[in-house]
Parts: sequence; C-alpha cells; structure tokens
Amino acid sequence: MTRDWLSPLPLLIVRLASAMVPRRQRRDWFAEWSAELWQVCAEQKPAALAFSTGALQDGFWLGWNAMRNHGSRVLSPGSALRCELLLAATAMIGFLACGFVPGARNTMSPLPYSKAADLVLISSNGDPGTQSPSTRLADYREWTTNTGALYSQIAFYEPATGHVHLKHHRTADLALAVASENLLEMLQMRDGAGHGRVAAESSLPRLFLSRSAWARWYRSDPGVFGLKVQVRGQTAVVAGVIPDNDWRLPVHADAWLLEDAHHLDQLPPTLKGFVVARIRDSAFPPPRAGWRSMVETRNGVFSRYDCISLDSKVVEPILLFCCCMLLAALALPAVTALSLGDYPLSREPLRRRLTLRRWLFLGTKFVLVLAIVYFWSTALAFAWGARDLSSAGGMQALLSFVPLLFGYRWILQDQRRRCPVCLRLLSNPARVGQPSCNFLGWCGTELICASGHGLLHIPEMPTSWFGTQRWLGLDPSWLCLFGEVPAGSPELV
Amino acid sequence: MSGMPVEAKLSHTAAMILQAIHAGHIYGFSVMAMTGLPSGTVYPAMRRLERDGLILSKWEQQSIADAEQRPPRKYYRVTRNGKSTLEAVYKRYPLLEKMIPSPEMEQA
Repeated sequence: MTRDWLSPLPLLIVRLASAMVPRRQRRDWFAEWSAELWQVCAEQKPAALAFSTGALQDGFWLGWNAMRNHGSRVLSPGSALRCELLLAATAMIGFLACGFVPGARNTMSPLPYSKAADLVLISSNGDPGTQSPSTRLADYREWTTNTGALYSQIAFYEPATGHVHLKHHRTADLALAVASENLLEMLQMRDGAGHGRVAAESSLPRLFLSRSAWARWYRSDPGVFGLKVQVRGQTAVVAGVIPDNDWRLPVHADAWLLEDAHHLDQLPPTLKGFVVARIRDSAFPPPRAGWRSMVETRNGVFSRYDCISLDSKVVEPILLFCCCMLLAALALPAVTALSLGDYPLSREPLRRRLTLRRWLFLGTKFVLVLAIVYFWSTALAFAWGARDLSSAGGMQALLSFVPLLFGYRWILQDQRRRCPVCLRLLSNPARVGQPSCNFLGWCGTELICASGHGLLHIPEMPTSWFGTQRWLGLDPSWLCLFGEVPAGSPELV
Repeated sequence: MSGMPVEAKLSHTAAMILQAIHAGHIYGFSVMAMTGLPSGTVYPAMRRLERDGLILSKWEQQSIADAEQRPPRKYYRVTRNGKSTLEAVYKRYPLLEKMIPSPEMEQA
C-alpha cells in the first residue's frame, strides 16, 4: 500500500540520510520521513525529490548534534580520552622537535651509509663513541697490508683544525678531518651539491666541504668546485659537498681533506686518529651488532682493539634510555606507593571489559610518557650542545631519569584518582573523620565520581584494617542524583 | 531549559512553525504547505521545538492509517509551555497570528 507510491530515488535519499541519524532514533525517524514522503508523492509527486533532500539536512543535524554532545562528554576535563590526547600531543610535539634539531634527527634515522652493518670503527680505548682519537697511524698502515682477510676496505682520519685560505684573501679556521683518500668512497657518501664527484685525476689532495660550511664560506656558490685553496700549508682542490646529516662518525667536521698514501706517509707514525673498516662477510658472520675483537698489530703482537659496528651505535641511545627506564622504575617506590588501591566494596563486580579498559589506559599512559621523555630528552640533549651520540647519551640519561621517575609517579597517582568505571578523574574531595578518633573508625578523604559510579575512600593514616584506598561502587539507582549537564543549548532555527 | 525564557530564543521561522502547529497543521508536510518553508528547515526545527518541550509528537494509530490506506503519520501538538511561549511570541511578532490564524482567532 505504501511503498508502491514512493519514487525509488527520493526513498533512496531518505534511506541514505537515515544512516546519519543516531541508531536509537533511526527507525522512528525513517518511519516519519517515509510517511511524509508518501504524502508528498500522493499530492505533488514532482516535489518529492526536493522534499527528500531535506532529509539529508535533518539527518545530518541530528547526527552532528549527537556526535557533538557525545564528543563534549568524552573530551570533558578529566576524561581519559582527553588525558591521552594531551599526552599524545606532547609526544608528537617532542617528535617534531627532534626533527628540527639536526643531531636528534640523526638518532631517529638510520645510517645513510650503504651496508652500514659491515662498517666498524676500530678504537683502542673500548669506547667507539669517544671523541678522542686512539688509533695510531702506524697501526693503520700495518692493517692496510696485513688484514686483507678481515677487512675489504680500511680508512683513517685524523681530526684537526685547519687554517684554510679561501678565495679573495679570506681565511677561515675549519674543523677538518684529514683522511685517507678512500674514506668517503668507503662510506659511499653522496655529493650534496648534486653534480657528481670531482674526478680524482688530480694529484692534489681533495677538500670536501660540509653543506653548512659551503653555504657559510662560499654562499653555496657552485663555481667553487675545482678551485684550488691552501689548507694547512698545502694546496688542495675543492671537490664537493657533503650533506651535514650524512657524517655520523666521531668528531664534528666542517671539511674533509682526502690525502693520498704518499701524503699520509709523511705524517708521523705516532699520530692518533680514527680507523673505519668494512669487514668481510666471510670473516665475521652476522649478527655483528656490538661485535668486538682482538686485532693483530705489528709483528704478530695482539693488541686489544674494539671493533664496533656503526649500526650498533644507532641503538645505543635507546639502550641507555632503557637503562634509565629501569633505574627510574627501581627508584619509584621511594617517591610513591605502587598499589593502585582495592575495589572490594563494589556491589557489582567490575566487568572484565572495564577492568581490561583500566589496564589498557594505564599501559597507554606508560607508553606515551616514555615517548614524551625520550623525544624531549633527545631533542634537549642535542639542542644544548651535544654534537655526537656519546656526549648526547650522557646528557640524555641525565635529562630523562628525573622526568621518568616523576612521570611514573604521576601515572600511578593519576590512575588511583580515576573512577574504575568511566576512567574520569574523581572530584569533590571531602574530609571524613578526625585523626584523633581513629580507633575503629577512619579518617581521610572521600572523592566522588561525577557520573555517580561510586566513591573513593583514601585513608589519611593507613591502619591494619584500612591500609589502602578503597572504591565503593554505587548502585545504578543513585544515578538519578548525578544527571549529566546537557551539553548543547537550544539553537536558533 | 536551564531556566532561560525560550521565547527570547525563538526565531521568526521557529515561531511560524509553532504557530502553524497550533493552528492545526499537525504533521510535517502540512506545516511545510502552510508556511512555505522547505523540508530541510521544517523538520529540524520541529525536532528542536520538541526537544525544548514546546511541542509533543505522537504516532497515529495503525488502524486509522490502514483505514485510509496510507502509512501512519507522526502528529504534533503544542504543549502548555508552547502555548505560553506563543503568547509571548505574539508580542514580538504581532503579524504572526494574522498570517497563520489559530482556530480560536478564526472563531472570534
């Protein structure tokens, strides 16, 4: 009787619009609109299509208002979602801050070198991240001839301050890395100027500038390549530019002076520098992270040299942070109680889903607080002058321990002050009892859930019969006393 | 209603719809026909008037609809609160009663 009169398109529009209506109203809403549509079709059929478009408007506003009311309740002050969103936003801002601080950005990204897991840094003092050179040039010379079975390539560099005569009688003191000519080739570093490497046919030492040094001293002039400059009293040719973030080895450098073997031979054998090598797969089967070994030196004598995979250096800050997490967790009982409270007085046992939600909320807070502390401590460590992983690691540990400790403390305290049913912060604290009348009674603070789920009793002085906070669940019949404040107000039509 | 006078918030459109219902146009399409307003305005406005307690809705009995071979309609009527609001609205929109005369006015 009814639907036969209805045109399919207007009815379809009304059906689509009903999808926007809240579920509990949908059936009633659709019945009203289809009845009205029937009337329109019976009286003015051509107007049915225009009429049905009004259903879209009606459905949209019903859905929108319902969503807004729900959203304002869910995001009200003290709600669990609001708390998590604030934490997530802080973590996100910390992550973005890391992106803006160059050193911190490097720790977040993988090494830019090809087959970085095969690259090792050889040092004699057991600390691969040290900023002081420890390997003698004489040892490097030995290894270039004697360790072919272990290393497919081996390179040396020595940090130095170079007095560089730039063009137009300008001079600058640059942080130099005087290196064997195969260093950049071994690392397979890209030329940041984007025009390929300068051919190595010149017998002159080649000077590579960092992008920031190129921009500062040559105003990013591409005509500088091939220019001869005086570096530490010798003539070198400017050969290319290295992106700032691509140099991840110890010691900051503004420029790299690549010397051939003849020039290196003229340096004193006791000169100390850094040795980087690419190991052979056959010599050291994976996994090689954190790999160390003894290395044979002159005349078959074994000296202790640590060969640390560059890849393992990347995870060092994370490992250090994990240590701080553990230490802060161990120190936590000194600053707050670990108990989350008892819930024995609940008349209705909390359902498993609610319990799971509580633990999930607690876990999410832990993860977000860890992310906040990690990102912000990394960003601040590098922003406050740390130029490499090892110095940043110590600073990051200092910066992360106290926030982690008090972050854990806040997580537990916040969890204890939340309703176990709706996870909102409890409110309206009221003092109950007197400390002088503690015998067979209790004194402390009583907090209440604004939604009427229950009361939390926190003893001021723990006793044998009331040692920790207790939750008292309220019967649903109490809910009429805790009416929700209507979120919306009447709008103008 | 948070103790706030509703009449102060009623727009002319809402007042027209309220007056139309009061005048006996008791379902959506008839309100549309009386006021000349589109469906996208009339139905959301009626929901707000109902939410504010100025009108009440009630489904027509199935037997009546069956007898007329049509689907049952949702009928609206003005509440006591709605009538007192209308009294106040007449002072703000004096022509409203003349535009959509109520049964009492027609009898007078």
